[in-house]
This record gives sequence, structure tokens and C-alpha cells, in this order.
Amino acid sequence: MSTSNMVVNPSPVSGANKVAYKGKSKRSFKRMLVVFSFLAPALILYILFMLYPMADAVRLSFFDWDGAAPAMNFVGGDNYTQLAQDPIFIKSLVNNFYWVLLSLLLMILPTLALSVLIGKLKRGKMFFRAGFYLPSVLSLAVIGVLWSKIYDPNYGAINVFLRQVGLGALAQNWLGEPSVVIPALVVTSTWAFYGTYMVLFLAGLQNIDQSMYEAADIDGAGPIRKFWNITVPSLRNTMNVVVSMVVIHALKGFGLVWIMTQGGPFYKSEVVATYVYKAAFSMNKVSYASAGSVVLGIIVIGLTIAFNYWRDKGE
Amino acid sequence: MRTGVAPWRNPQILLWAVLLVLLAIVTVPIFWAILASFKTNMEIVNQPFSLPKTWNFDNYVKAWNLGNFNSYFWNTTLITIGGMVLVLVVACPAGYAFAQMKFKGNNLLFYLFLLGMALPVQAIIIPVFYQLKTFGLVDSLSGVVLVSAGLALPFSVFLMRNSMKDIQKELRESAYVDGASEWRAFFSIMLPLAKPAVVALLVFTFMSIWNDFLLPLVLLISNDKFTLSLGLLSFQGENSTNFGLIFAGTVISMIPSIIVYLIFQRQFVEGMSEGAVK
Repeated sequence: MSTSNMVVNPSPVSGANKVAYKGKSKRSFKRMLVVFSFLAPALILYILFMLYPMADAVRLSFFDWDGAAPAMNFVGGDNYTQLAQDPIFIKSLVNNFYWVLLSLLLMILPTLALSVLIGKLKRGKMFFRAGFYLPSVLSLAVIGVLWSKIYDPNYGAINVFLRQVGLGALAQNWLGEPSVVIPALVVTSTWAFYGTYMVLFLAGLQNIDQSMYEAADIDGAGPIRKFWNITVPSLRNTMNVVVSMVVIHALKGFGLVWIMTQGGPFYKSEVVATYVYKAAFSMNKVSYASAGSVVLGIIVIGLTIAFNYWRDKGE
Repeated sequence: MRTGVAPWRNPQILLWAVLLVLLAIVTVPIFWAILASFKTNMEIVNQPFSLPKTWNFDNYVKAWNLGNFNSYFWNTTLITIGGMVLVLVVACPAGYAFAQMKFKGNNLLFYLFLLGMALPVQAIIIPVFYQLKTFGLVDSLSGVVLVSAGLALPFSVFLMRNSMKDIQKELRESAYVDGASEWRAFFSIMLPLAKPAVVALLVFTFMSIWNDFLLPLVLLISNDKFTLSLGLLSFQGENSTNFGLIFAGTVISMIPSIIVYLIFQRQFVEGMSEGAVK
């Protein structure tokens, strides 16, 4: 956006055009009212349900409050020092970052490979794009319930299938085994969200100049070399968007964990969002939970700004 | 393309075959659930991957009536429609103002809205709960509508502003010269021209509110106010071993979003790639 939108009228106020200026300022006041009439509803809703709660979360985090008591005690940074020493909170943060790492591994290359395949189609692109996007249309509740049944140790599709093909030894309690639970959840979340990234990759692939491939063909480059030397570098922009979205999404994860494991077994799949939710709404540690949510908010907003900064710099 | 080549040597046909197999693998969970919803529990355990022997709708009837899916469905519909109307009414004028009107602080205010796109719901959900409590709006559908619309606003304003920015300013100015007021220019010129974006906005809002989980979880308390997502979860808790019944509930919950998606697929996907890349 150009800065010319910020137009002011620097007309000098001298005796000769005082009257004219008066008329102008009246008009500009009317103009402000018109602008305001367009913006006011959005501003009110936004301030009421986003900006104010954001400030309120920060305020709450400096108090000691159980959600019901009429008085709040100011405790300064106590909640934050407590968080830093809370083994479960730290465990949740670590789990979040483990989740980020696994998501990046599972999500990006397979989705890119799939998009490249779809992009090579001469006919039926729309069909496959629509079909592969289907899981992303479902609600997290549907996906969570569906996959808890798929992972069910007795009747779940995975274990039944493994036993049928004679690999019963591999069957296990996917959501109850401490070492498997996060990878199992990340597989579900990959299934739930790859559709969005596929759409972004497909859009990015469409913008690549086809003549580069033709030139590479003349040079006798094979498909793998073309992929690494043309496709991947040309998708830099899209890749930035996708990586940042995957990271931020993984940090915000709540629904699937809550529906499938509630953080169990023994906090092995606890993430910050589920821990904060428990602290606020079942342990009545409202201000403590607020501090946790502020930490999460700062990490997410900080990373978003950092990713945008890198992207702008790279352009 | 050469003629007379065996089909498996034709790369396009090979590609189709590979993608079809992949698509089948990826969508297996959905079809597994749909098939199971027509089966008895015995069949689910013994023939998990076969077609049901008889297509019986018992599970659906039970889920709809006894499982309260009837009420979950209408609650979700009311919340979603309310949220869509509110977002539409509020975000379109704001997008117009940011895209087309000159005023002091335009950029600054717009960036303030963008900040909301980065803000995770989890960071504000606790104060929002206590705020609604003071308004007496906890455990009410209108509370969920208001907050859902508030949360959808940053992206919606962003989408509308971007699409209205591409519309030529001259069109609006010519109406302006004719003496039309800003609001008339908005309704008679901008809104009709921005129709594709408005449709995309409505589809997005539908998806995000219909599928939402965290907000209803925090703001709704009694079962008769539950949305499909919450209802499905509590239904699963009550019938944890009755797979057929649970899957019937799951299918009921997913049908509306699948239908809306199939109808508006193109607007949805195009809106998404534009919104994210810009």
C-alpha cells in the first residue's frame, strides 16, 4: 500500500482563506463521520473480543485469582517464575516443539511431492485437488473421534488390519503408549491439515515459468534434477508461507489432543494449550493459566512477525 | 503423444493410477467410518473392511433422536448462520474503508487488524470467558456467535480489503461525482463487483464456525446448547464401545461441511490460495 493514502490538507491558515478553511474543516469532520460509520462496527467487535481480552490476559497474569473470589491479589511476576519451574509446563512446551519438528518432517516433503504429481496432470487436476482436500473439510471433533477409533487397540482399523496380514506383533495401544502417542497424534494432524498446504503448493507450482523446464529438457536434465534445481527454488516464497504456517499451527494445537488423549498418558502428550485449558477451567488456577497463555501468545506472535520479516527480507 | 503405446507406458495414465491409489489410501478413514455406521457392532469387529450385509439406518435414527444430534444440529446451524451474517455485515464495510477511502491512520488501523490474525485464540480464551460471564452470555448461543464473529474478523477484513483494492477507484469516483453518497457507492458498485470475494468469505466463515471446537467447549455448558462438535465428543464418551453409533454421529457431523465444500469448492480453494500468499 502506498503512503499516499495518508492524505492531510496542509492548507495554511491565513486571513484570506480562513472562511474557506472553516468550511473545509467542517467537511472533513463530516468525512470522518462517514469513514467512522464504515469502520465502527468492525472496530467495536474487534476491540471487544480480541484486543481487550488480549490486554486482560496480560493483566490477569500478574494477579492471583481463582476465577470466583471477589478480590484479586497482585503478585507481580510470580506466576511466570512458577511457570518456569513447573515441570509439566516445561514438558508441555517441549512436547509442542517435538510436535513442530515431527509436523515439519511429515508434512512438507510428502505434500510437496503430491502437489508436483497433481501439477503434472494434463486432465483431472481439479478432481484430485478436490479429493485430496477432503480431510481438511472435516471438523477437529470428527477427525479426533474418527482417529481415536482407528487407533483403538482392540477394534481399531490399524490393529485389525495388522492382525489380518499377520503383523499382529506390531499392533499396539497407539494412544496409550508413551513413546508412540505424539507421533500418532501428529500423523492425525498431518492428515487433517495437509490439504491447505497442498492447495498453496499447487498455486505456487502454477506460477513457475514453464520455459525453465523446457530449457532444462534441452540440457538433458532428469526429473529429479529439475525438481531440486527449478521447482524447489521457484517455490521459495510458497515454502516460506507453508513452513511458517506449519510451525505456528503445531504450536497452537489443542483440539485433536483434547479429543484424543486429553494430554495423557501421564502428560506424555500434554501441550501448552491443553495444560492452560485444564489449569483455567478445571483446576481454577485462572491467573496462572493466563500467564501460560500469554507465554504461548508471545511465542506465536513473535514467530509470526519473525517469519514475515524474513520473507520480506528475502524478496 | 505417440499412438500405439501400451497404456502402462503412457506417463499420464500411470500418473492417474498412482494418484488414484494414493487418494484411496488417504480417504480410507472416511469410508471406513461411513461403512461402519451402517453395520452392527458384530460386523464391525468381524468384517471391518467389507460392505455392510444390510444397509440399516438404526444407528442414525438412534443418534438423531436419543443421542440429541437433532438439537446439536440446529444449535450449530443457528450459531453458524448468526456468525456468517454478523461477519458479512461488519467486515465488508471495513474492508471497503481500508481499500478505497483516504483517511489518516488507514495503514496503522489496518495493521492493528492484521495483528489479530497472528493472535492465537488460546491466548485470549480465558478473559473472553469471564467477559461473557459478566455480560450473562456464557452458555448461550448468542455469546458464541459474537465471539466467533470477533475471531473471524481479522482474516475477513483482510480478505475483503484485498479484493476491493483490485477494483478500480475510478468506478467509485464516477459514482461519487454523480452525487452518490459513500454508502451508495459501496452498495451499488463495490459490493456487486466484490461478489466472488463475498462468496469466498461466506464459505470460509461457514467452515470455521461450523467446525469450531475450542470456543463452544469453553463457552457452552449445558447439553441442550451443545454444537455438533461438543455433542459428538460427549456422545462418544457415553457410547465408547458402540462404534456403529459413534460413526453415525460422526457422519451426521461431517455431511454439511462436505456438501458446502463440494458446492463451493472453487471459490473456497481460490480464496484460500489468494488469502495466504498475498
